[in-house]
Amino acid sequence: MVLTGRAGILAAAGVVFVALVMPSWAGVGVVVAAVLVVCLVDILLAGSPRRLQFSREGDNAVRLGEQAAVNLLITNPGRRVRGLLRDAWPPSAGVLDPPHKLDLPSGERRRLTTHLVPTRRGDRHAFRVTVRSIGPLGFAGRQGSHQVAWTLRALPPFKSRKHLPSRLARLRELDGRTALLVRGQGTEFDSLRDYVPGDDVRSIDWRATARRGNVVLRTWRPERDRQVVIVIDSGRLSAGRVGDAPRLDHAMDAALLLAALATRAGDRVSLLACDSAVRADVRRPAPEDVLPSFVNALANVEAELVQTDFRIVVSQVLERLGQRSLVVLLTGLDPAVIEESLLPVIGPLLRRHVVLLASVADPRLTELEAARGDLLDVYGAASAARTRLDRDRLTATLTRAGVTVVDEPPDHIAPALADTYLALKKAGRL
Amino acid sequence: MSTSVGRSVGESWRALRTPLLITGFVVLAAIVVLIATSARTSGQFSPDSTESTGARALAALLEDHNVDVHGTESLNDAVQAGGGSTLLIGPGGSLDDGDWRRIAQAQWSHIILIRPGSRALEALAPGVRPTGNSLATRSRQPGCELPAAVKAGTVTVNGPTYSAPEGATTCYGDGINNTVVRLEVGDRLVDVIGTPGSFMNARLADDGNAALALNLLGTHQDLTWYLPQWESDYPDSDGESSAQLIPPDVRYIAWALAFAVLVVAIWRGRRLGPVVAERLPVIVHAAETTEGRARLYRRSRARDRAASALRESALGQLHEAHGIPRRADPSAVVATVAARTGRDPAMLYELLYGLPPLTDAALMSLSQELDVLTQEVRHP
Repeated sequence: MVLTGRAGILAAAGVVFVALVMPSWAGVGVVVAAVLVVCLVDILLAGSPRRLQFSREGDNAVRLGEQAAVNLLITNPGRRVRGLLRDAWPPSAGVLDPPHKLDLPSGERRRLTTHLVPTRRGDRHAFRVTVRSIGPLGFAGRQGSHQVAWTLRALPPFKSRKHLPSRLARLRELDGRTALLVRGQGTEFDSLRDYVPGDDVRSIDWRATARRGNVVLRTWRPERDRQVVIVIDSGRLSAGRVGDAPRLDHAMDAALLLAALATRAGDRVSLLACDSAVRADVRRPAPEDVLPSFVNALANVEAELVQTDFRIVVSQVLERLGQRSLVVLLTGLDPAVIEESLLPVIGPLLRRHVVLLASVADPRLTELEAARGDLLDVYGAASAARTRLDRDRLTATLTRAGVTVVDEPPDHIAPALADTYLALKKAGRL
Repeated sequence: MSTSVGRSVGESWRALRTPLLITGFVVLAAIVVLIATSARTSGQFSPDSTESTGARALAALLEDHNVDVHGTESLNDAVQAGGGSTLLIGPGGSLDDGDWRRIAQAQWSHIILIRPGSRALEALAPGVRPTGNSLATRSRQPGCELPAAVKAGTVTVNGPTYSAPEGATTCYGDGINNTVVRLEVGDRLVDVIGTPGSFMNARLADDGNAALALNLLGTHQDLTWYLPQWESDYPDSDGESSAQLIPPDVRYIAWALAFAVLVVAIWRGRRLGPVVAERLPVIVHAAETTEGRARLYRRSRARDRAASALRESALGQLHEAHGIPRRADPSAVVATVAARTGRDPAMLYELLYGLPPLTDAALMSLSQELDVLTQEVRHP
């Protein structure tokens, strides 16, 4: 049951009535009875919200920050329903529309569109559709709710895709698809071509030159069909917020750029998100399926406040890799955690594979270290310096152990990781 | 596909249960408080007051001896007597002759007047007159035949004294100026007591005060302990009269208004569906631990740790800028940096490897000097 402003006005008019016309118990009774009767009649005449039938159609997934539209189809088998309709979603689904106005004559069907801009990654489930049906007199009405299931998946935004074209261009240079004047980057023999002035003379294939009679050059290209495993740490190290998003989100962004790049380079990319258990696992999808499957798998991964078990990471990676491959670990450079739980178990990985550890650095630490004002600033600078020194020491330890470390602030982590990958490829370390 | 969502009776009951319980509890608590405070009295000689001028101790003693003490500040309680009960009238108050007469007409079998004025004496103890006031506090012998006083023995006395008519028993005095007077008016016993101080919490334990009080007050099972107030409370000054001053129309308008408010409350209070709850992930600033450590440094005044971190950081930058090997010993570092910057080697050594600063100001200046040094290195 709901009342409207008209019922309030009627009751207020009743006060005037009692004051001026019938200042007695009878007058009060008349007012109460009048309001009750009018409201009751209106409620009885209002169309039933319960009998409405609903179904949905529209977007199933949307990139975080973009707008999705979900339609609601309403069929009315009963009396005319007039009033308001609220399509309720959780707050982070970002519903843009205010409650819809509804006027649905008997036997008809309407389509209402709810626009959503999710503010957080992950699955958002529609909560309820609540209909308030006001009677023909406009004094009172009925209200009822329906559960109309729908799930909208907010995918990782992949903001770093703007860096992809420039990296692809560099990849093409490596690949020899553009005119190359330097000796082939890579160790895999590709083809022979004629010498062009300016080419590195060390690349001349003398035997072929002798056979053909003109100077022939060997070209090389980087290895293809290598395995790349991207491991995202979804444990507590990734929960910390850097800038305006958790480390995990920056890590995902970097992982997506790397995956796109490596796929174009002809490598097979797998994904693993892991803390104390495996949260997402994508194994060697088809090249055209890499980004969609990664984005889908990562949509619902949230940072858990547990310590990541790197033994799981190592065993999972070893299990799926035979040949020499690239293992990219996206985690945090926390000396205590890395030294105690990663370094003791990373041996088997290092023996067989190239390991790259990428961490999102916090620009706040740089700010803290540069701050000079009052005493707390100086202590803050000292504390930040200590943190950085610890990280530097850890980086040195890791590098000595054979791990390539990329430690960059959120804006640079994705391109830096891509560049490191290209550098490894160029150096023929894969 | 859709399913209608509604609340079953059980769900409604579960949702309403807690608010109902809380409301019930509040109402119950209010009633209990009202009952508990309705019999409360306060001020001098009050049976509920634990201050030194109160008489809670005496009331408690009486309760221990199976006397029901009923404290009141209302004249109505003092004029509605049951037979075979005692009325104690405390000192002070501003009752007029009419009030005293009404008390006298009530069916009390024993009335005890504590430091009464002349109006009270006129109405309740005819023939007794105030004779003076003994300002000094002293112990006195009973000096009379009254069994209550004889058993109690010596009593601390202070306050007005009274003369007694023929046939009355006088105690704690010289026959003319007496502190305790007992007389019979009709078939009623009337005690006039001039020394309230002896029965207050502060001095009840002295001499035989407690015994005298128990003997005098404990004659009956029921004791009404009336403390006269400074305003006369006639029934016509009660709350009812103020209700009568309001014209009856206003009452109906008020009821109609209350109904209108209820209607508006229902109109505004109904939500369009429930609030949607959501489980949010925990988000902590990544730099939180570093900032926390900075506050810990400051709280524990860890200047040594802070200084060593700053020095190590500066040294790292110097190593990088001058290409000094990491493991170079301090004198070599100082010599190289001194050669490049033209600074005094001793001062430089003190700056980079000296003792930890002893004051916060020294730490601040150390950080500034290190800044200057690293700046010089970066932009020579």
